[in-house]
Amino acid sequence: MGALTRAVRNVSRRKMRALLVVIALGFSMAIMISIPAGIIANQESTQSMTENFSNTMSNMQEEINKTATLIECQTSSGRGMRSGMPSGAPSGMPPSGFTQEEVFVNETVVEEIRSIEGVKDIVPFLEKSSNETTSETINGPSGRTFTINRPLYTITGLPLNSSFIDNYSVLPTNITTGRNLREGDSGVILMSSNLTEYFRVVIGDKVKINGESFTLVGVYDSPNQGRMETRTAYMNLSDAQTVTGQTGNVSRLDVYAENVSSVDGIADVIEAAYSELYVTTYKDRLTNLENMQEMYTQTLTNAESTLDQTQTVATQEIGIAVVATSLIVFFVMLYTVRERTKEIGTFKAIGFSNWNVMSQFMLEGVLMSVMAGIIGIAIGYIAAPIFSSLLLPHINLFGGSSRTRFQPTFGSANPESLTSGAAATLNPQLILLAFGAALLLGAIGSLYPAWRAAKIKPAEAMRYE
Amino acid sequence: MSESVLKTEKLTKIFTMGKRKISALSGVNLQVNKGEFIAIMGPSGSGKTTLLNVLGCLDTPTDGMMTLNGIDVTKLSEKKLYSIRRNEIGFIFQTFNLFPYLNARENVELPMECTKKSKSERGKRSRELLEMVGLSGREEHRPHRLSAGEQQRVAIARALANNPAIVLADEPTGNLDTENKHEIVRLLGRLNINQGTTIIMVTHDSQIASHTERILFLSDGKITKEKQGLHLVKKKLMCPYCGSRIQLSDARCPSCKKRL
Repeated sequence: MGALTRAVRNVSRRKMRALLVVIALGFSMAIMISIPAGIIANQESTQSMTENFSNTMSNMQEEINKTATLIECQTSSGRGMRSGMPSGAPSGMPPSGFTQEEVFVNETVVEEIRSIEGVKDIVPFLEKSSNETTSETINGPSGRTFTINRPLYTITGLPLNSSFIDNYSVLPTNITTGRNLREGDSGVILMSSNLTEYFRVVIGDKVKINGESFTLVGVYDSPNQGRMETRTAYMNLSDAQTVTGQTGNVSRLDVYAENVSSVDGIADVIEAAYSELYVTTYKDRLTNLENMQEMYTQTLTNAESTLDQTQTVATQEIGIAVVATSLIVFFVMLYTVRERTKEIGTFKAIGFSNWNVMSQFMLEGVLMSVMAGIIGIAIGYIAAPIFSSLLLPHINLFGGSSRTRFQPTFGSANPESLTSGAAATLNPQLILLAFGAALLLGAIGSLYPAWRAAKIKPAEAMRYE
Repeated sequence: MSESVLKTEKLTKIFTMGKRKISALSGVNLQVNKGEFIAIMGPSGSGKTTLLNVLGCLDTPTDGMMTLNGIDVTKLSEKKLYSIRRNEIGFIFQTFNLFPYLNARENVELPMECTKKSKSERGKRSRELLEMVGLSGREEHRPHRLSAGEQQRVAIARALANNPAIVLADEPTGNLDTENKHEIVRLLGRLNINQGTTIIMVTHDSQIASHTERILFLSDGKITKEKQGLHLVKKKLMCPYCGSRIQLSDARCPSCKKRL
């Protein structure tokens, strides 16, 4: 029959009270541990965001360097459609051209541009959205969702000329089944894996598009374009022109200069001559990259300042929880001591020392608080994400709904992963910490009441009713 | 002759309440010999409980001398006083003061917790004591499952746990019905005779007091009168009323049928 058994029996003697106190303390403790869990999750997500950003930047830099002589000329419909390339204007534009009217130019322009001095090669493309559309739901920040309508797929036609295919990256490279398109292909199609699901076809099957029949020769893995998957079918340019009813038309020209020094001159000429074409050069793309970098930096700065702010709030909240916990223990134990004054007198009459009495009451305080700690860990385990999202300021990277405006269109930087809500989870260290905190706060909270109990004069305690 | 267990000289206790000084004990001279069974009687406010608290080292006297087994306890430190209370004194209270969350055995074992006795020794001792007070088989019952008389028996067993030099009982029958009152005082009497336990009992019931061997009357903090009780005769196994031979276990005298 030790002091601990007595403490357990005493706490369990008033079950309802003990239960209420333990639950109240438990919530306080749960808050105490959920907040650090939230902070850790925020830090981790900021870190992964930073890593993603820098990866994205270096990938883009590499891509731009590789294509220093490339002058992109796009009609409005072509803008933003290419993957692996920074899209035209970095802001204010919807992620893809689907909301715009598609514009085409006659392919005679190819020969006209080819005659400009310093032009080495021109790869014309025809990019046309399907008439079928799909409605897609996108998960936005803090549980908001967006529903957008967009074309089911895009048909991209290009001249299947082996020198283009070999020298410039004009076709997808990540073929998963079948083969890539090659020189002389006609009546065949290469499509992204997600499109094969839609058409329910496998290699060798016939695919019917706008009444025309194509043989599926290859499937490539579709990279994510922002938060949406790209669904593109590649084919011979003339096939594309036929199937889309755009005979003799193109929507995009990749103009390659002889050397880097002639790029600006060519771009100026094209821009002056063809108002319907948007021209982007290496420099423009670099500028875009810089703009993007600036935005990324800004975003990171915002994230970090929010994180700082979060930490300040967290410190305050943890402080409040700590004080609340010790105060609950304090008042409950003070009340218990008052209520059991006579019992304390009896303890002393039968020869218990001040220390015996004090440790008995401290043990009870600590016991309650440890029970609360266990409840708190259980609550925290289940509800840490809820608590931390309720109690901590949200890290808002892109400022309100502007997240949709900013769509990096390259695989490595999926914005979903950059900003996905920080999910707070308890780690073993936090659980251990919570247990330690429970012990400590129980001891602190019951210190004074227990000391009071010890100091009660036995004769006075015996008179107490 | 008889060996003195407790001795007080001019024991004084003054309570200060604001500016008023209330003298609860004003010079109590008392000598208690080993194996005595004494009653202290007196009206309310005469200082009975204060005297018992001081004798039990629960309270310190303002002035005067008090020795317990030859030790001057008025000069002892707090720490020594715990040990005196634990080892030399057994308390019995009017309201029993059992711990409701402990069973009978655990209540009896409690004073032994701070001693060097092993767990099994404590268990053995508490079972013996509970048997002695007539509660065998009730060891695992908590107080709320015991009657008032039974609860007081547990309290008596607890008071005896560490074999104290003296047992102090403050109105031990105050909360009991007539039947139980006599049971308890007879139990105390038996313990006094069989175990040689020295007992001082405070009561305001003269019938109960008459079961002891010496009755002290306390008035205004002083012992004013002293009277012999019936217990002294009973100790010699004689009926205090008719003088015929009795057995200690007899509830009534076999010849005169008077209640013993």
